[in-house]
Amino acid sequence: MTEPVISLRDVGKRYLKYQDRKRALASMLRLQRRTSRSDFWAVRDVTFDIGEGESVGFLGRNGAGKSTMLQMLAGVTAPSVGTVRVDGRVSPLISVGVGFHPELTGRENVYVNGTILGMSRKTIERRFDDIVAFAELEQFIDTPVKFYSSGMFVRLGFSVAIEADPDILLVDEILAVGDFAFQLKCYERMQEIRNRGTTVVVVSHNLGALRSFCERGVVMNHGQVIHDGTMFDAIGVYHELMAVPDRDDDDSEAEFETDSMHVLDARLCTQDGTPAAHVNAGDELVYTITVQATRDIDRPFASVLIGTDDRDVLVYSDSNARNSYPSLQAGATATYEVRFRATFPTGSYRAKVNVLRITDDRRRVCIAQAPGVSFYTSGRSMVSGLADLEASFATTGG
Amino acid sequence: MASIGTWKETVTSPPTEQVAPQPSRVRDHAAGFELSGPGTPVRQLLSTLWRTRAVLFVLARKDFFARYRRTSLGLFWAMCLPLVQAIVLATVFTHVVRISRIVHQAQNAGPHFSYAVFIYSGIVAWSYFSTNMPSAATSVVDNSGLSGKIYFPRLMMPLLVVVTGLFPLVFSTVALLALTLGFQHSVGPEFLFVIPGALMAAAVTAALGIALSAVHVYFRDVKFVVQAIMSVLFYVTPIIYSLSTAPHSIRIILTYGPMTGPIELFRMATVGADSAWPQALAGGFVWITVFLALGLYLHSRFDRVFVDRL
Repeated sequence: MTEPVISLRDVGKRYLKYQDRKRALASMLRLQRRTSRSDFWAVRDVTFDIGEGESVGFLGRNGAGKSTMLQMLAGVTAPSVGTVRVDGRVSPLISVGVGFHPELTGRENVYVNGTILGMSRKTIERRFDDIVAFAELEQFIDTPVKFYSSGMFVRLGFSVAIEADPDILLVDEILAVGDFAFQLKCYERMQEIRNRGTTVVVVSHNLGALRSFCERGVVMNHGQVIHDGTMFDAIGVYHELMAVPDRDDDDSEAEFETDSMHVLDARLCTQDGTPAAHVNAGDELVYTITVQATRDIDRPFASVLIGTDDRDVLVYSDSNARNSYPSLQAGATATYEVRFRATFPTGSYRAKVNVLRITDDRRRVCIAQAPGVSFYTSGRSMVSGLADLEASFATTGG
Repeated sequence: MASIGTWKETVTSPPTEQVAPQPSRVRDHAAGFELSGPGTPVRQLLSTLWRTRAVLFVLARKDFFARYRRTSLGLFWAMCLPLVQAIVLATVFTHVVRISRIVHQAQNAGPHFSYAVFIYSGIVAWSYFSTNMPSAATSVVDNSGLSGKIYFPRLMMPLLVVVTGLFPLVFSTVALLALTLGFQHSVGPEFLFVIPGALMAAAVTAALGIALSAVHVYFRDVKFVVQAIMSVLFYVTPIIYSLSTAPHSIRIILTYGPMTGPIELFRMATVGADSAWPQALAGGFVWITVFLALGLYLHSRFDRVFVDRL
């Protein structure tokens, strides 16, 4: 590693969790110390270096401190303790189109936005055509941006940010915007500028993008760095983190009866028995759940639900009461296996198995909830959408 | 049946290739920064401000042009509004409210003295201050969308208001020139005193705006305190009357008001200043110095942490 472009030493960022603003002035006039003061460390004890031309991805749950970290790297906010040193010009893609004015034309906004991002007027003039060409907005560049679609807006903003040729590019979830073709284009362009020696720091939940773009992955949890290594390992650590069941993880439609059964063990493995953190599209996965009944249970059955990391349900399937497991007596344990194939495009998914039963009055109730387990699927190329059709393409004649 | 083939690829993207050793890019070291603790030395604050001054002008230009963009007559309005205001004032105070004679006598001015010009010269300076100072005071909070995303010294925000306000000031100064020619039939080289007058008005606005913008982040009450003070200050500043018409007991307060100095400079350019103008100027400089020092101190302390409270 050459001399670091970014270096953080024992960095911490503290916020006041609760503050009664209305009383701030009053209490100051009375020269009284606020008693309701409580500290919250958004980032704590963080030390790392990032070298020139490195591309580093930050992972973590929401509220893990990633965005605060990015704000400090952008110089927008200072750490409460420790030192942040950044050597070079930062261009934040934290939000594209910073300072865009709706009444001004695309052309005028390019000048405003470019200047904010540190380009001189001459530089903007020189790169103007490239900026417009990349954004594919040649015909609309003299139209006020309020008439732009959100896609056009983002394209122009991204284009300016990337042509600003920063030493350090900070990216926050940018790859989630714009249409698919433009995403690919952005992505290629980011590779290109990285190869020119630009350092790239990405915060994203899109593990697919992170994995193919960043070699280095940093996982944060509760404000601390819990992993700093290869992106491959980082994704594994991230999934372990996500595997811890969340309290807010409930299926609102199902009815619960959680005192009938304990979950003793739950795991998601590939066919050879290794935990499934990374799988390839089409691999068979086995979700094994071991339960113990606390009362007699008549013909339980299982369901499997696959969702994305942001808890959108993609597919649901259950074994149906007719195809149920044998009834359990109180105190008995049983192990159930749910097998399915990872027929998904590249991305991060979450599998969850529940055990259900049918009550006497024919209601379905959930009697055991196994924790959701995250896994990353390397999809086949040229597959996108919710699931992989596993289509094959053939022709007759010709 | 010829099968073109089925895709059987398992790896999505090829491992990213590290291109052969690159010549190290030339980093913009000046744009780098080191942060430890919330404070930023004043010197560093000012040098960063100077380095990023282009942003100030491009944003000021944007704000000004965006303001008239949707109107069909555009800049005509910028010119027209102050002129309408001047004509109304002149009519009201020469034909309806007969205050002009008192001022005329107290001012001890020549036969060409016009009360309309007298009052408009005060209004030009005052309205610059009264429209821009309150928005400068809330500017750091008002621009939180921009400042949460990207760093620039936050005192650029009040300065932006001050600079943007100069465009309309130019137009109202032109209207003042027209009014002076119309009512006094002659304009001498002393009209150039509008330049130091405008600069001083901008300096007072900037100094108060910078200091209050920092305080406002932490105490939002500032916004309303400023509004209240502005309405009082209109009458406690020699705008519709002159310093010499005021009773002796309160004349000293009027003389050392923040905007009395700039207003006397505008009077000097048109109808002639009050005899107490040197004190008024000195008072103005004290306001500028004190508030600028306070503002720079507050900004250097909180510049990088304002955003935590926005």
